[in-house]
Amino acid sequence: MKGLLTNYYETAAIILFGIGFATLMLHSNLIKKIIGMNIMDTAIFLFFIAKGYIFESQAPIIRGELKTVYAYVNPVPSALMLTGIVVAVTTTAFALALTIKLNEKYHTVDLDKIMEMEGDKNDE
Amino acid sequence: MKYKDTILEEVCRFLILSIQIFAFYIILNGHLSPGGGFSGGAILGSSLIIIHLVFGKSYLQKKINSQNIPAFISIPLIIYGLLKLHSFLSDTLHWPHPPIGTPGKILSSGFILPLNIMIGIVVAFVLYQAFSYFWDEEF
Amino acid sequence: MTSNLPLINIMFLMITAFAFPLIKKIKYIYFFSYIIHILLVISTLATLMFVVNHGAYALNIGYPDTFMGIQLYISHVEALLGVVFSIIFLMVVIFASSTIDKEISENRIGLFYLLVNILYTSLIGVIYSNDLFNAYVFIEVSTLSACGLIIIKDKGETILAAIKYLIMSTVGSGLVLMSIAYLYSITGHLNILLSHNVIVATYQDYPNSVLIILSLFTLGLGVKSALFPLHGWLPDAHSSAPTPSSAILSSLVIKVYMVLLIKIIFRLFGLNIVKDIVIMDIILLLGSAGMIFGSVMAIKQKELKRMVAYSSVAQIGYVAFGIGLGSIAGLTIAVYHIIGHALTKSSIFLISGLMISQNKSKYIEDLKGIGHEMPITLILFTLASFSMVGIPIFPGFISKWYLSLACLELNRISLILIILASSLLNLLYYFPIVINGFFGKENLKGRIRKSKKVNPYSLFPIVTLIILMLLTGLFSGRIIDFIALSFA
Repeated sequence: MKGLLTNYYETAAIILFGIGFATLMLHSNLIKKIIGMNIMDTAIFLFFIAKGYIFESQAPIIRGELKTVYAYVNPVPSALMLTGIVVAVTTTAFALALTIKLNEKYHTVDLDKIMEMEGDKNDE
Repeated sequence: MKYKDTILEEVCRFLILSIQIFAFYIILNGHLSPGGGFSGGAILGSSLIIIHLVFGKSYLQKKINSQNIPAFISIPLIIYGLLKLHSFLSDTLHWPHPPIGTPGKILSSGFILPLNIMIGIVVAFVLYQAFSYFWDEEF
Repeated sequence: MTSNLPLINIMFLMITAFAFPLIKKIKYIYFFSYIIHILLVISTLATLMFVVNHGAYALNIGYPDTFMGIQLYISHVEALLGVVFSIIFLMVVIFASSTIDKEISENRIGLFYLLVNILYTSLIGVIYSNDLFNAYVFIEVSTLSACGLIIIKDKGETILAAIKYLIMSTVGSGLVLMSIAYLYSITGHLNILLSHNVIVATYQDYPNSVLIILSLFTLGLGVKSALFPLHGWLPDAHSSAPTPSSAILSSLVIKVYMVLLIKIIFRLFGLNIVKDIVIMDIILLLGSAGMIFGSVMAIKQKELKRMVAYSSVAQIGYVAFGIGLGSIAGLTIAVYHIIGHALTKSSIFLISGLMISQNKSKYIEDLKGIGHEMPITLILFTLASFSMVGIPIFPGFISKWYLSLACLELNRISLILIILASSLLNLLYYFPIVINGFFGKENLKGRIRKSKKVNPYSLFPIVTLIILMLLTGLFSGRIIDFIALSFA
């Protein structure tokens, strides 16, 4: 319990990840699924950036004299997550575009209803 | 959009100019201050979207032929790839480096400025293209 | 210069991909794609020769120092897989030039080739990369471009299949990114070799973290490579896509993630650390369940392409089985099976595409008597299905044989029964098509005996793939020895 409270960033990230994952898996509405997907991605970004953050230290931009290594946070996770955010935005945009196309063809964004319309193909 | 609003158009004439100048500022200063190709390109793209919304598609069509937008997207990407290939290989193959310049000036830090400009163009046109696909519903 | 070829391959494909929208005439698009893919075959062969002569090597990109930059690592397996991938891509591109205009609208053909190039870039990127985050970015790019290759047909079912695939893959890539975050928090590196050094020194301090990292990687990459029971998206996606896309998706895309899993298990952790972890047994279990279940589901299918897609689930099961054995022999044979199955499955998908377009029906029932109309195509199908079933000298048999030997080596004889059962089940769904095709008397009305309609451009790639598949079977000893050099 104490471990959870001291690492509160990680705890929050895992809880958010769970919420996002559940939303993604349990809802049949595609828009809600995409929201869940975004929450999940954001949770991972929080987790990753928290790994690089050191309490009470600055961004690693050197102005004037160079301080000790401990004065700066680790910039690598933030830089990686910038890429991660671009990837997540791209995926979201693509998923939303597909949702619009599906809505055009089937006039609903509910995945279960769409599957019903398609009919079963003797799976399961 | 059939609807025409004179006040909106006149305000936008000034607004779009300042938006675009700001976008170019962000792209050109990307290697010196926060910002860069992606954010500047997004602003430039949104100015194109405003033009499309306020003045209509035909007005923009006169300035930028929509047939050429794929070329506007792919040519900068090809140039970007070639520049990046040069910077990856120049160390091992002893190709000449671009001049570094004085830090703090616009013309400095090698390839970062041209790369930012290329990314800015690509992002602006990709954003506009995506918007116009959805707005005109012809995809 | 030659040592830089892997990087040049990746960059070359990315740069030339964006030249396709600029080309207006379709004839020139085909021609340009031939040139690109022939050059790629040559350059991957040169990489292979370089590795044969100089041994495995790491290639630092940008920074000369490993600590800062991204690193590619090319050993024997990577070089060999690069050659196999480039050959399959060349053959699929040649096939596509004869049939793709019937399946997608004309103004999208340039886009199709753009996506093929991007997908190819990302696949060899995942194979070559020695940096986990770089591999993650390539995985995402491969997912998006694979989705693009599915929806390019622009029908309701393809979009539905693509969105299912996209959602499942997002879960997978989320899990992969999470495990990279865990790994980064205990090692402080993203480079596989550097992380390996830290893990070997400190893994006893973090027993749970190692378990979490490996299970998240397995789940994430398992979703993307359709490991049973996470395969729900595969049959729809692979059966509704245009034929060249489904050949690429089924033979190459799902395999790449397994290659990454092999790299993580062998290079990042090392077999000594992994062998005490329960995950390996779970991979083995899922693999064997997939081998049985995929075949059972394939028997129940009524559509040809869906049947072939379910057979891919079973074949991924074989790869996972080899990985799950947790021995060097198992990993070697998993890589061999990836190569053998990639050649076989791509030719089977291309053949079924030809049969479906000739027959104008996607149902297996309507294929009875097709051997009278297209005998050469059906003979090629027979050869490919021999490999899937496991007739001796075909690669399918070789990998089953060596998998059984690997089981014997570990004294787990009961596992051989699973391999046998899966082979028998394979027989049950491939042979009826062959037998009914040659000897079926139904549906003969309106068929032309020995139709000359088959385009040589669509037959040539299939014949080449089948010949390569036979060679893979014939020279299996040498190939397996070559692969084993990487796992020494």
